[in-house]
Amino acid sequence: MVNRADAIVVGAGVVGAAVAAALSAAGRRVTVLEQGVPGGAVSGASLACIGTHMMDEEELPLLAWCCDAWAALDAQAPRFEYSRCGQLRFLKHDGERRSAETWIGIERAAGLAPELLEPDAVRRIEPELTGPIVAATWSPNSAVVNPFLAVRTLLDAARSGGAGIVAGAAATRILTAGGRVAGVETAVGRFEAPLVVIAGGPWTQDLAATAGVDLPIVPRKAQCLATVATRPVIRTVVGACKAEGGVDAGYTQIQQAASGQVLFNTVLEGGVTAAGGRDSVPEVDRAFVHDSVDTLLFLFPRLAALDLLRSWVRYEAVTPDDRFLTGPAGPDGLFVAAGDGGTGFVRSLGMARIVADRIAGKESPFRDDIYRPDRFVERAAA
Amino acid sequence: MRRVETDILVVGGGPAGLSAAIAAAGAGARVDLVDAGAAPGGQYWMQDPVAGATSQQAAEGSTAIASARAAGVAIHSGAEVWAAFPGGEIMANDAEGPITFQARSIVVASGAQDRVYPFPGWTLPGVMTPGAGQRLAKLGKTAPGRRIALAGNGPFLYAVAATLASIDATPALLVESGRARAAMLGLLARHPARIAEAVSLIAAARAVPDWRRGHVVTEALGEERVEAVRIAPIDERGTVDTARSERIDGIDALLVGWGFRPMIELTALLRCRHAYDRALGGWYCVASPSTGLTSVEGVYAAGEVTGIAGSRPARLSGTLAGLSAAAALGFESAGMEERRKGLVRALASARAFGHALGRLAPPPDGIADLARDDTIVCRCEEVTRGEIVAALAEGTRAVAGAKMWTRAGMGRCQGRICGSAVAEIAAAETGTSPAAAGFNPPRIPLRPVPLDVILEATRGSAP
Ligand SMILES: Cc1cc2nc3c(=O)[nH]c(=O)nc-3n(C[C@H](O)[C@H](O)[C@H](O)COP(=O)(O)OP(=O)(O)OC[C@H]3O[C@@H](n4cnc5c(N)ncnc54)[C@H](O)[C@@H]3O)c2cc1C
Ligand SMILES: Cc1cc2nc3c(=O)[nH]c(=O)nc-3n(C[C@H](O)[C@H](O)[C@H](O)COP(=O)(O)OP(=O)(O)OC[C@H]3O[C@@H](n4cnc5c(N)ncnc54)[C@H](O)[C@@H]3O)c2cc1C
Repeated sequence: MVNRADAIVVGAGVVGAAVAAALSAAGRRVTVLEQGVPGGAVSGASLACIGTHMMDEEELPLLAWCCDAWAALDAQAPRFEYSRCGQLRFLKHDGERRSAETWIGIERAAGLAPELLEPDAVRRIEPELTGPIVAATWSPNSAVVNPFLAVRTLLDAARSGGAGIVAGAAATRILTAGGRVAGVETAVGRFEAPLVVIAGGPWTQDLAATAGVDLPIVPRKAQCLATVATRPVIRTVVGACKAEGGVDAGYTQIQQAASGQVLFNTVLEGGVTAAGGRDSVPEVDRAFVHDSVDTLLFLFPRLAALDLLRSWVRYEAVTPDDRFLTGPAGPDGLFVAAGDGGTGFVRSLGMARIVADRIAGKESPFRDDIYRPDRFVERAAA
Repeated sequence: MRRVETDILVVGGGPAGLSAAIAAAGAGARVDLVDAGAAPGGQYWMQDPVAGATSQQAAEGSTAIASARAAGVAIHSGAEVWAAFPGGEIMANDAEGPITFQARSIVVASGAQDRVYPFPGWTLPGVMTPGAGQRLAKLGKTAPGRRIALAGNGPFLYAVAATLASIDATPALLVESGRARAAMLGLLARHPARIAEAVSLIAAARAVPDWRRGHVVTEALGEERVEAVRIAPIDERGTVDTARSERIDGIDALLVGWGFRPMIELTALLRCRHAYDRALGGWYCVASPSTGLTSVEGVYAAGEVTGIAGSRPARLSGTLAGLSAAAALGFESAGMEERRKGLVRALASARAFGHALGRLAPPPDGIADLARDDTIVCRCEEVTRGEIVAALAEGTRAVAGAKMWTRAGMGRCQGRICGSAVAEIAAAETGTSPAAAGFNPPRIPLRPVPLDVILEATRGSAP
């Protein structure tokens, strides 16, 4: 079987789906290849918070653009439970105030409107957060989306632009001819196209290697828990303040999905343990379960009798500087967009825009040089 | 928190688990048995905590429970296993909170549950599974209704008819998909020891005034609750001929089920190998026929979790697994090898009978197609067949894909109820097999557990 398209996107996670939608919108005939279930890997396990708060100073313009792009997508296809619920990041110790204020200053300078709230004010926003916090930052523009429906919406947009989605097709090799990309070989046959975008999450480097491209992506274990559905309790996205040694130098994310399930995770320093293959999907770590439940009940003690329903584990793609590898790589016509560092949901639309702009020979509305896939090679050489 | 160190942990206190515990403790091993029920016994040996043993089955069960206690088995009733962490830690919780077991070996005898497929009207009050109806009759001596329709496949329906008759609630209607009379007689001729039991079960079915073979219930009808059923014959090609359907009024309870599905949650969590056979209930845990050992070292499986075959193989496989697990830990006694050989032979024969019975009356092909577009398939998340079909048409696939795109299987029961149906719908819509459609992999916790119990159970610096 031979299939021809203008462009092939490998991977139907949120990044691949966004790239497919962007290329379709630009009039290209796209084929999306997915080895498993579309959205079934990291994207389907995501808490999918869309925000700018305490992320990365240099990426702020891109992140702000992404937040607007998600809002625009919701306006156009309101079927992925988009909700601009805002985000709180709690402080457990007074020592974390300095870091909180620094972040607020940076974000305000970029035109955003975060603030630092005392516990009373926090409780006006999040009434059941009755735990003994000392303060919390508040970023009103953060949103959440349903990750499965968001991927489905993007794939739907791609399909309405003529894209085909082939699930159960693992790409095994990049095909080249005369130094240019010619397509990919898969378990279900050969697919031909002059453009190939690898958006394969933590598997990207394997396929890239078949075209002689060496990508510094390593898989990192990410875990999450869900309770059974309950009455509306949590209104915002609740996280821990990013601070040197703050909230035990870990991170926390707690939110309630539209389904009523409370989704949460906390990783404390030293809590990230047990390695495992990214393909075998191990169980959650015991210490992780404990720390996550402990933090949830510290903040929301009234949830103590609520039932835990499920846990899951995925491997995120991590790069040395925690930024995506997005742009052209190796032979002409080959592009990559991967290396999410654990917050790729929000960035996916921006990464898609970079790929689409590069292919069209246009400039992106934000800087794209910090994502260049070859940046580490150059640094090593220097 | 309670911590229990033991040689062998048996999970499940039905015929398989109790037999395993008795055998292992008899060989000299320290044995703990955890069972979710208020009293051990499982399905076949179900104990009525109020009325006591009023049937022969229940009496056999109470004898087995007494033997287990006499052999020194520590029985933890009302305790459900919800996690297995690396390093052999198994966590359960009961009314008093968490218990952590550290066992050298584990025997999983988690049994089975009713297998259901959705059809229009199946969520109406008054519609339940045969197992649920039987439980009502066995435990509270309560009849599920006055005019009961009993439907589905296999001789289990006859057993339920017999239980209902014993409380003067003989069903008004029996709708059975199979009609393989000659094959049934042939099977009994090869297993003459089972004839007496078969005769009494068939007598129970005969006592039902309206007995339809070769038919299925295609719809439950009613406003507030079930009032009537629609049934249709199965044609020569094995498909349900809805054009020739017929309405039967005056029904106030419908008990419908398609045999059982093995409860593979714990064996799957422990990463044991599983295989698929629709006639044996779908996915089951693969265990060695000569020892009960699964593909994972130190983990044994017995009874229905290894494929639906009935109570006799459950007992035999339990004893075999208990003895083998004990022997592997060094608890060997004189004559044990001979006993094991005898068990292996008896088990092979009993299983052959049970499997043949299952193959005589599998659920008809296309049974999941009885559900219409607006029929709910996943009851926890209220996902309809139409939503699942639309997702599959848009590019997702398999049980995992249906779950991701529609939430089917993401609710409280985690797909235990709708799993078989979703797999068959996914297979039919995408041109693969239900086996290829896979199953929703169980994760910690196996059952919903309160957060404060989890917090206490995971305290401390163990793995
Ligand atoms: C618990 C958790 C919480 C998170 N919370 C947030 C959050 O709040 N906000 C946020 O922005 N991000 C969050 N993230 C991160 C975010 O989900 C990921 O960054 C994002 O989903 C990554 O998308 P992706 O498309 O790169 O990867 P994936 O979703 O993994 O997609 C890659 C796809 O490519 C396929 N593939 C790979 N190789 C091949 C091949 N050779 N052939 C065919 N197919 C292939 C894979 O099967 C996979 O489906 C969270 C992640 C987790 C796990
Ligand atoms: C609803 C129903 C009714 C049945 N009625 C009959 C009948 O009338 N006649 C007949 O011949 N056969 C009947 N069967 C078939 C029955 O499965 C076998 O005959 C026999 O009971 C199987 O024995 P077992 O030990 O494998 O499983 P079971 O008897 O089912 O015992 C399994 C036990 O394990 C426990 N368990 C499961 N998971 C856990 C966990 N995680 N933690 C703690 N405990 C756990 C369960 O609560 C249960 O007590 C019935 C099956 C079902 C599902």
